[in-house]
Amino acid sequence: MRTRLEVNGEVHEHEHEPRLLLVHFIRDLCGLSGTNIGCDTTSCGACTVLLDGESVKSCTILAAQVDGQSVTTIEGLGTVDDMHPMQQAFHEHHGLQCGYCTPGVVLASISLLAENPDPTEREIREGLEGNLCRCTGYHNIVKAVLAAASVPGAGEIPA
Amino acid sequence: MAIEIPNRLEDLPVEELRWVGRHVRRREDPSLLTGRTEFIDDVVLPGMLHCAILRSPFPHARITGIDATQAEAAPGVTAVVTGADAQLWCNPARTAPEGWGTLCLATDKVRYVGEPVAAVAASSRYLAEDALELIEVDYEPLDPVVDPFAAMDPESPLVIEDKGTNVMLQRVFTWGEVDRALAEAAQVFTESFRWNRLGANPTETFGAVCAWDPLTLDLTVHGSIQSPSSFGLGRAADLGIPSNKVNVKSHPHGGSFGGKGGARGATIACLLSRKADGKPVKWIEDRTEYLTAGGSQAWDRHYEASLAVDEDARVTALAVTLVDDLGATGEGFGAISAAKPLAAFTGPYTIPVARYDLTLVATNKVPASPYRGMGPPPHFFVLEQMMDIAARGLAIDPAEFRRRNFIPPDQFPYTIPSGNEYDSGSYEEVLDSALDLAGYEELRKLQAEARTEGRIVGVGVASAIEPGVFDWNAYAIVGMPQTGVPEGATVSVDITGMITVRVGFALEGQGQYTLVSQLVADYFAVEMDAVRVVQLDTQSAPPSFGPGGSRLGVAISGAVLGACRRLAEKLAAVAAGLLRAEPDEIELRDGRFRVKGRPGSEMGVAQLAGTMLARSDLLPPDIDPRPEATHVWTAPGRTAADEEGRAKSYLTAAQAVHVVMVEIDPDTGFVEIVKYALADDCGTRLNPVVVEGQTEGSVAQGIGAALFEEYVYDDRAQPLTTTFMDYLTPTVNDVPALDKAVVVTPSPFTPLGAKGCGEGAIHTTPAAVMCAVNDALAPLGVMAREVPASPHRVWELLRRSEGPS
Ligand code: FES
Ligand code: FES
Repeated sequence: MRTRLEVNGEVHEHEHEPRLLLVHFIRDLCGLSGTNIGCDTTSCGACTVLLDGESVKSCTILAAQVDGQSVTTIEGLGTVDDMHPMQQAFHEHHGLQCGYCTPGVVLASISLLAENPDPTEREIREGLEGNLCRCTGYHNIVKAVLAAASVPGAGEIPA
Repeated sequence: MAIEIPNRLEDLPVEELRWVGRHVRRREDPSLLTGRTEFIDDVVLPGMLHCAILRSPFPHARITGIDATQAEAAPGVTAVVTGADAQLWCNPARTAPEGWGTLCLATDKVRYVGEPVAAVAASSRYLAEDALELIEVDYEPLDPVVDPFAAMDPESPLVIEDKGTNVMLQRVFTWGEVDRALAEAAQVFTESFRWNRLGANPTETFGAVCAWDPLTLDLTVHGSIQSPSSFGLGRAADLGIPSNKVNVKSHPHGGSFGGKGGARGATIACLLSRKADGKPVKWIEDRTEYLTAGGSQAWDRHYEASLAVDEDARVTALAVTLVDDLGATGEGFGAISAAKPLAAFTGPYTIPVARYDLTLVATNKVPASPYRGMGPPPHFFVLEQMMDIAARGLAIDPAEFRRRNFIPPDQFPYTIPSGNEYDSGSYEEVLDSALDLAGYEELRKLQAEARTEGRIVGVGVASAIEPGVFDWNAYAIVGMPQTGVPEGATVSVDITGMITVRVGFALEGQGQYTLVSQLVADYFAVEMDAVRVVQLDTQSAPPSFGPGGSRLGVAISGAVLGACRRLAEKLAAVAAGLLRAEPDEIELRDGRFRVKGRPGSEMGVAQLAGTMLARSDLLPPDIDPRPEATHVWTAPGRTAADEEGRAKSYLTAAQAVHVVMVEIDPDTGFVEIVKYALADDCGTRLNPVVVEGQTEGSVAQGIGAALFEEYVYDDRAQPLTTTFMDYLTPTVNDVPALDKAVVVTPSPFTPLGAKGCGEGAIHTTPAAVMCAVNDALAPLGVMAREVPASPHRVWELLRRSEGPS
């Protein structure tokens, strides 16, 4: 079958087996390997992407289910020289160690701020419950998101 | 020639440090944050195939037949391997005690659920998994060996028949006159404990891409590999090829914590590549495979401990008996975990004599592997519970009891009964910092009030040692082959003065490339951006072990500073020639090589490197014109074990005190951490923000260990925790707020006085949380002897308790 998605503003259309997961469409067919896989039971959130602006776990969805929709992956945010404010906040607050959970956590945090621009620490923790990080103990992740909340654009997807 | 490595920050050749010791943001972040870092699953090689592994559904069964012909003919399939191939091409793993290793694919029988039985390489993972369903295996189930005590019964079924026993090793180490100390003690406290299996579970599982050149028989292994050089030695040994035919390229990995095993999977992928005429074969372990049978399961332990005290409440002896269930032969270096407590057996205390009665047992569970801390964390859980039991028995405050028994600062370096030497420490100062920070007296008041209201509240104070910078020699006592633990770095300057540092390990989260850049930037007084860190594969890199055993920060500092020093000597010789001075008249200061006592007579690094590369006519005779130097650092003065296992095994001893307050829900048994404060001393902090990050992450893992992480098997050795819905790692809502204080007692023996600190808090956290839980339970007349103290276990204890007294 054939699926057409807008990924980070570019149209990707590929032929694939019906059982193909969205995460594999993104990684293997679009060649965007920034979206990571950490489990096979929708538990870890490493595969989080934004689907029409809302955070979803891309390992849980078939590519075919979202035909025609638009996806933002970590590659659709900032670049190494010009990071998105949320990426910058994680850098400044040491909100990552190995960085494997990070693309998912950053995208989940952006969607969190999009919904709630001025969250309390508790609300941030509730919002990130679905993203496991084995390295940081989460304190610096929460700090980074709190700090990002006061930076313009931290809750926005770049056009 | 011996090279002096600076031991103090002041010894670096700059007026003012700009990078080392400061909060430096990590250079590895931007690439990770933008998804550009190449993890192993991101590697795509031309013609690459994908591997899927068929695993045993039985914990113990004879294989009576296997038919893979249909799978071989399935769509997309290029190669299939079974135990017969392993028998033909492979040797048993050498990572279990001598003679206990098995082949990468089961041959005559399977020994645990999830043991690889066959594997397929196909054009996609989907097709490879489809083909697995076409492989037929006939099993004849055998009685499983589940309990390590039953396993020791001569009538027990055997995990490895040839061995005639399930006891892999039984040894008693005695250090001093323990029996006498126990007999003469004012009081002896004895208790037993259970630490259940748990494990690393990095967010990225293991993965490898293996390619075997069919003509030269050279093997290339890409992987998320913690220690590339020893992984290469392992594959060479498994596959019976010379070690210099294996080239390992490690990729940045999504966490490790020791749990990046994967040796079997990599060897299987190598075999598949061989059968597939050298096509690269990618194997990515999925989470279910990782949890069912990955290189993660550690510390399945049954303890009994005795602590003797005299009239003055000084501890006079410690005796520990450990029965360690290593599963199907502990091929993930499980035996080392049992031996490592020798490096800090008596913790931070002046306990003069000790005994360790150690039994390693094989069962039909997953082979034991390393996990952060590699063995001591459960040992400290036991020791610290014993300290509390004794304090309670003597009616002394637990913090005071510890203070009385701490090794005093003037006794360092201090040799413990089990032979290791602690470099330095200020244990009382650390204790006082932690107690202050926690508001200890206030916590005790709050606790007393809570108790009058019938609430179940406890405070725990625990201290532990983190042995750092390990030396492999010590592990001969449990039959582990030596691989060496050197760390090397090459520092070179190009003609424009830009500096490149070449190292042999990959990133896994501790900010080591940032550290390397900090050190070089300060040594030569350049911007950090002028330093580039490049990772080489094992065929090109200087000798390197990589991260492990809280060693890399110290070891890479030694390597980099040694290489800088050697390079500086070369540059100084060139400067001497050009400035018409003797080499020993030249000093490096703030990036300038100057003639002492001759102001203005000086040259910079770039100028000297440029001259070396471009103007041979100006160079002194016999000068090697490469502005480059390599240094390989090994921990100095480490010794081989004597007949009682005593060795100077670890170079540094970091210490911490954690103070925890918990409240237990009487209805559910749920333990809530209401206060967490800690102070720790790991010597000089080269990048404090990174050290703190390690502490925070390690506390979280320690809380998981104390309260909910557990690999559960049923009474037929079937694993019950094969997804993240059953194996619970801490979420953002499970970690309490943390108050941290820092004490700095530099090591007299290490580069810049830093101590190993990567494994960190997990040495202390489970002990401290359990001390708090037991402090809460004490008035109820029950004790939590089992880790994790899950709600169900605590609720059971409450049910059996006498009720608040
Ligand atoms: S990979 Fe999608 S939730 Fe874990
Ligand atoms: S930074 Fe490693 S899992 Fe989050």
